[in-house]
Amino acid sequence: MPSRRRTLLKVIILGDSGVGKTSLMNQYVNKKFSNQYKATIGADFLTKEVEFEDRLFTLQIWDTAGQERFQSLGVAFYRGADCCVLVYDVNVQKSFDNLNNWREEFLIQASPSDPENFPFIVLGNKVDVDGGNSRVVSEKKARAWCAAKGDIPYFETSAKEGINVEEAFQVIAKNALKNGEEEEIYLPDTIDVGSTSQQRASGCDC
Amino acid sequence: MASNSTSQPPSSDEEEEQEANSTVQKPNSNSIDNSLDAIENQLSSISFTSPIDETIAVVSAEYYHESVSEINDSSLNESYETVGEIRIDNNNSVGESSHASGSRVWMNNNVEVEVEAEVDGGLSSPSSSGYAGERGSSGGSVSSGSGTDVIREVRDNGESVGDDGVNTVDSVQAEWISGKRHADEDDASISWRKRKKHFFILSHSGKPIYSRYGDEHKLAGFSATLQAIISFVENGGDCVKLVRAGKHQVVFLVKGPIYLVCISCTEEPYESLRGQLELLYGQMILILTRSVDRCFEKNPKFDMTPLLGGTDAVFSSLIHLFSQNPATFLHAYTCLPLAYATRQAAGAILQDVADTGVVFAILMCKDKVVSLVGLQKSSLHPDDMLLLANFVMSSESFRTSESFSPICLPRYNPMAFLYAYVHYLDADTYLILLTASSQAFFHLKECRIRVETVLSKSNVLNEVQRSMSEGGLHIDRLPVDLSARSGSLFHQNQRRQPESVVGIIGGPAGLLHFIYRSIYLDQYVSSEFASPISSPSQQKRLYRAYQRLYASMHDKGIGPHKTQFRRDENYVLLCWVTQDFELYAAFDPLADKGAAIRICNRVCQWVKDVENEIFLLGASPFSW
Repeated sequence: MPSRRRTLLKVIILGDSGVGKTSLMNQYVNKKFSNQYKATIGADFLTKEVEFEDRLFTLQIWDTAGQERFQSLGVAFYRGADCCVLVYDVNVQKSFDNLNNWREEFLIQASPSDPENFPFIVLGNKVDVDGGNSRVVSEKKARAWCAAKGDIPYFETSAKEGINVEEAFQVIAKNALKNGEEEEIYLPDTIDVGSTSQQRASGCDC
Repeated sequence: MASNSTSQPPSSDEEEEQEANSTVQKPNSNSIDNSLDAIENQLSSISFTSPIDETIAVVSAEYYHESVSEINDSSLNESYETVGEIRIDNNNSVGESSHASGSRVWMNNNVEVEVEAEVDGGLSSPSSSGYAGERGSSGGSVSSGSGTDVIREVRDNGESVGDDGVNTVDSVQAEWISGKRHADEDDASISWRKRKKHFFILSHSGKPIYSRYGDEHKLAGFSATLQAIISFVENGGDCVKLVRAGKHQVVFLVKGPIYLVCISCTEEPYESLRGQLELLYGQMILILTRSVDRCFEKNPKFDMTPLLGGTDAVFSSLIHLFSQNPATFLHAYTCLPLAYATRQAAGAILQDVADTGVVFAILMCKDKVVSLVGLQKSSLHPDDMLLLANFVMSSESFRTSESFSPICLPRYNPMAFLYAYVHYLDADTYLILLTASSQAFFHLKECRIRVETVLSKSNVLNEVQRSMSEGGLHIDRLPVDLSARSGSLFHQNQRRQPESVVGIIGGPAGLLHFIYRSIYLDQYVSSEFASPISSPSQQKRLYRAYQRLYASMHDKGIGPHKTQFRRDENYVLLCWVTQDFELYAAFDPLADKGAAIRICNRVCQWVKDVENEIFLLGASPFSW
């Protein structure tokens, strides 16, 4: 057995197709970037072990497809997520506008116990493109939206240049961890002594 | 009486066999009427058996009969070489779950292929370097395969490795190091992909809970893939049970928020693998109860891995039993052969303590029951006994001191804990006292001291040890001549019968081994292994053959059958099912059919003659 307890965190990455979800994950996990666009089909799964505040944990990253036709996979995919990463492309207005939909959809499908405090994080990706000249969503606007949704942490990233990727995932891990620490007590049932005579065996078919 | 006496060698034509499989009754063949008459005559003189008035059904090598709803909707005639692909919209899921390595020739008389493959590791896949460097791995195991103490499997190349790269070590000698094997592996490892049989437990959110091989956290991505497959099918309002991908079968079992998956290329029947998943789930319930379900209801992201901390060995040991212990598919338990008075003495003292508020008192020697007593009209299911015994034997800490541990008997009450007081009376013999009171430790300790005192005074413990070393039913002592019958095993044991001439292999008429399962008693008895079935790999092969036989006899789609006679290049297998018992017998592949049938009757007679000593009578858990 491992000498210290490890925690597994399920992290879901959501956002419109082409905003760079897979690239962010690849940059984070494999330190690699490819300019070629390959649409994710359904979902990709990657794991990364992280040490943080002297604790070991594993990020189980669910990189989902942005295309609408995959939305039917929803419930089962989102179930039990510890953190949700919302990604948009700072050069595409629509991808920012859709953040709201992604967030709502996630909350409906995953139905976390405490939706108000569920740990989201927003990443504005592709800040490197065209030296920032093609940018259409300002940082201010993005931060305002995040603030309005319960102070969601916000990062401006470039999967290509590796800007802020590591930092963003640090916060993802930290927030997911914080959120998960509340319920850790397992209280097993014990047979009520007095009622044992009612414990009829169910397995006997004789 | 109609019968079919063909005992053809295994055909390579799948469809032909399917056909043979479905034609269980072929009319008009008189060739073995004599022997069948002999059976009837013989049987009519045995009170507890019902005569075979049906046919001897000859089912050739192919047992496989799919009554399973499969993703690929395979029809009956479809050979199971067909690659069943589940197409989930995921670029890597299929590849992940069907990591076929090398292409081995797929034969239909699958039993031997499998074992060959197991013994030789990756004979026909030249790139089997994955096995290199895995010898001497940390897997120890409780050897509980029905009384055999054969220790070590030696591979052709001298390595001492089982099919899963695991050393098979006798429990006495084994230092149980850690249950987790090859923790450094993950789904990218070649060695991991080459493993013949994987077991996974995961949560409905895709978080890994247990993996037989490799580190659960490193396999988080793989675990997520499995969850995605299950959920994808679930979303369509369906439930995935089996996926075939090349020679691999992926078997799924959904238990509320817990998902269990087996990926196997051992060619075991689907029903068997599914049964193994059920037991694996039962083992988890035994440790935690089904209250874990509520944790998931409250909190879907609940991570239950910490709750199972330190129990890897329990699961690994259970998985090992799947190929070592027929109880895993017979759903029956077995008793240590003992003189009737000895078992009575043990039962009396157990009854004595049971009267003081103990729910169950169980005295066991390895995987065999010495005696067993219950307080109420409550039953102890054989599967619960198997899981309990496995839990006790695979947890090293029980050996070193008296223990008091909450456990759940899944077939008794899956929702709540009982408390088990466990104490080893000697290296192999242990007493389990189950109670509903968490405060009962000191009372049970007193009970144990009383039991221990009585058992050693009355010499029961010595008798147990003696039986353990001498074994019970030796096939070469099968009384062939009716006049040589004896009501007891134990004076036979003193001197071997003259029939057992040195040089003859196995028992009379080529009998190699048998298992007799009493239906009313929920107990089975198996003969001791003898040459040529002496190595663990040969025993495993035989158990797998029995397992197939069991699955085919109990196939709901085409069964139930009464008899089955099957010949392949390893064995002649004969199975006979009546209302009272099931008999599974293995003979030399050249054995004569008529003679084999006669011997089976002798075996049943023998079992009946000595039933006082090989079964726990009267005090059966189901007989209150």
